[in-house]
Amino acid sequence: MTADELDPLIHVPTRLKIVVTLAELPDGDAVSFTRLQDMLGLTPGNLIIQLRKLEEAGYLASEKTRSGSAQKTTVALTRTGRAALGAYTRALRNLLGGLDEDGWAAEPDSSRVAF
Amino acid sequence: MMDHAPGFAAADDGGTFDPRQAAALLDQSAAQARRAFTPGTPALFAFRAVLVLVVFGGCWLSVRGQHPYAGPTGAVLPVAFALVAVNVGWSAWAIRRAGAGVSGPHQRARLTWISAMGVVLIVAYAFSGPLFHGRAGNPLWGLYQASAPMLVVGLVGAVTASFARDRSAAGAFLLIVVVAVAAGFAGPAGAWLVMGIGLCAVCLVVAADAASRRHRGVVGS
Repeated sequence: MTADELDPLIHVPTRLKIVVTLAELPDGDAVSFTRLQDMLGLTPGNLIIQLRKLEEAGYLASEKTRSGSAQKTTVALTRTGRAALGAYTRALRNLLGGLDEDGWAAEPDSSRVAF
Repeated sequence: MMDHAPGFAAADDGGTFDPRQAAALLDQSAAQARRAFTPGTPALFAFRAVLVLVVFGGCWLSVRGQHPYAGPTGAVLPVAFALVAVNVGWSAWAIRRAGAGVSGPHQRARLTWISAMGVVLIVAYAFSGPLFHGRAGNPLWGLYQASAPMLVVGLVGAVTASFARDRSAAGAFLLIVVVAVAAGFAGPAGAWLVMGIGLCAVCLVVAADAASRRHRGVVGS
């Protein structure tokens, strides 16, 4: 296996951070654009560009909702995106000589109902 | 992506990105996101360990010389109320911080579960009122106050966390049940001590678990 086989869409620092951050949410949950921007420390323009690329590939889904005059955008990782990150993690592990485990955790910590 | 050396990817936002850096960034980002989205912090659980030790231990100190048993009295009550108020405020802040901007079915389920457990806790302790009013006997009155509310909370928590397939939480609530049952054998006064030490140990185990989860890697470990 070579590094060229790593998913080029994810193998970019900014997009890797976005996908990994969204993967920590349980399947079906979404985060607001502003919270994501705050967590990643990106400019709105940069974040929009990267999100668009991931959305075009079907890795994430965004939804715009309007309450009153304010518009809110939420972003969530799709099953395709989660599977792609799992494959990317496995490939990275193989490349670095680590154990080939199950890839991305199926149940992120934030899916825990209690705390 | 076309003009880079094998093993490296040109990053869209500048610089190159080799697999080892990618693995480090992946682990770091996952840990940061986990910390941000998870309300339960090791510090909060450690505080709860201190809280139960001080409150239940204080109650034990105030009741151990009572004949007949009359229940906790004196300075321990305002201290207990103050510590519980701090715990409630800290917990509410942590839940709000972790859930800011997050929406979806799991988030709603978590908030519903937290609210339901809060109601269970309040109702379980409020039932002391009717027992007191009905002049329940000393053994029943003493054992109920010290251990029954946490027994109820432990049982409800274990069952609901199991349904939600949250094994860590289910395990922690089962430990609370075990502590509460064990406390029942220690008598009205001794139950407070057993509860204090037992619940403190459970909180410390949960704090250690929370700390290990925060630093768990995705690629390397």
